[in-house]
Amino acid sequence: MSDLIIKIILEAIFASVASVGFAMVFNVPKHTLIYCAFGGAITYITRTIFLHLGLGIEISTFIASTFIGIIALYWSRKYLIPRPVYTVASIIPMIPGTFAFTAMISLVDMNSHGVTPELIEIFIENGLKAVSILGAISFGLALPSLYFMRLNRPVI
Amino acid sequence: MKDLNYQKQSLITRTIIKAAVLMSEFGAESILIEQTAQRLGRALGMDSVEISLIPSAIVLTTLHDNQCVTTTRRVHHKPINMSIVCEIQKIVINLEKQKYDVTYLVKALKDIEPNYYNRWLVIFMVGLSCASFSYLQGGDWSAFFITFIASATAMFVRQEFAKRRFVLIITFGVTAFVATLIASISQLKGISSTPNIALASSVLLLAPGFSFVNSFLDALKGYLMMGWGRWMEGILLTIATSVGIIIAMSILNIKGW
Repeated sequence: MSDLIIKIILEAIFASVASVGFAMVFNVPKHTLIYCAFGGAITYITRTIFLHLGLGIEISTFIASTFIGIIALYWSRKYLIPRPVYTVASIIPMIPGTFAFTAMISLVDMNSHGVTPELIEIFIENGLKAVSILGAISFGLALPSLYFMRLNRPVI
Repeated sequence: MKDLNYQKQSLITRTIIKAAVLMSEFGAESILIEQTAQRLGRALGMDSVEISLIPSAIVLTTLHDNQCVTTTRRVHHKPINMSIVCEIQKIVINLEKQKYDVTYLVKALKDIEPNYYNRWLVIFMVGLSCASFSYLQGGDWSAFFITFIASATAMFVRQEFAKRRFVLIITFGVTAFVATLIASISQLKGISSTPNIALASSVLLLAPGFSFVNSFLDALKGYLMMGWGRWMEGILLTIATSVGIIIAMSILNIKGW
């Protein structure tokens, strides 16, 4: 159990460093950097906990990004900052970089060394994982704001 | 505000569209652009403001006393800068609260100071964040250091290209090329046991996160044209990155490993 806690804390620290770096690339205002760091840590902790509970990686990612969407809604109202400033930096640690990279490399391999069933298997497996994780991230982020859109517009 | 003549109304229209163009250029969401234009219009005494958004231009009409003024502006996409978007948001809220008139808005838009971080601090932090990403993906410590060096150098190259105002596609391709060349040291020399993770994380600084997230948010909120445009932008940047990686790998292949 203590192993798991140490692992979660270490991962949270690294995730928050990653989020801050990307927030700097997007030139966010200085006083929001600390919230970007918290956001990265919160998403990664949430995802690790749900993964540990036995859910799949897509569902865990979806829950984590929905969670940061709701928190960012609260922060943006409190500090009057548009939400993507917080959310885009926070989801960066969850991007399926390795899956997408492996899929691309297997595609190049197929082109230069001939198509084999193993390469097709690698490509489809990794490509599907990358696409489904990206879809989970973007739908999770959009969900909280779609919920609030209904309130200030007439249904009929 | 009853004796609002044509000159005054056209000045207000030009100022509002300037704010909208700034927001669109620096990567704000479509619904935010439309709401900003409408709130500014209402605060300055217009009856209504209608806006039509496509990825390369903005058309904006203000209505007041049966008189319409319409104008169009071209939008040139620039590197994402969220601090400008936040500044405009603050100006809108100030204008609504304090009941300033249009001269305040003209002056405030002219005085916007983008918040730039120290160049070397950004290089250091981006290197560190890509290295942390490699740790999160399960890389070992030598992969961590190689990723740090590779992505910090890549960020330096990216800043140099951005300073010379190159097209984003060329910038991304060259940056990915440099990052992959340096990161593949881990594979060539056999330093790291997880070379794939070092290669994948060192190009992570080129992930077009804002393009994809904004395209989804726009499309789901009814701005389908903007959604498609941003989607295409993200895909093009991803392809440019992949081409840079592939060229770097094929060059190393010729040298024989």
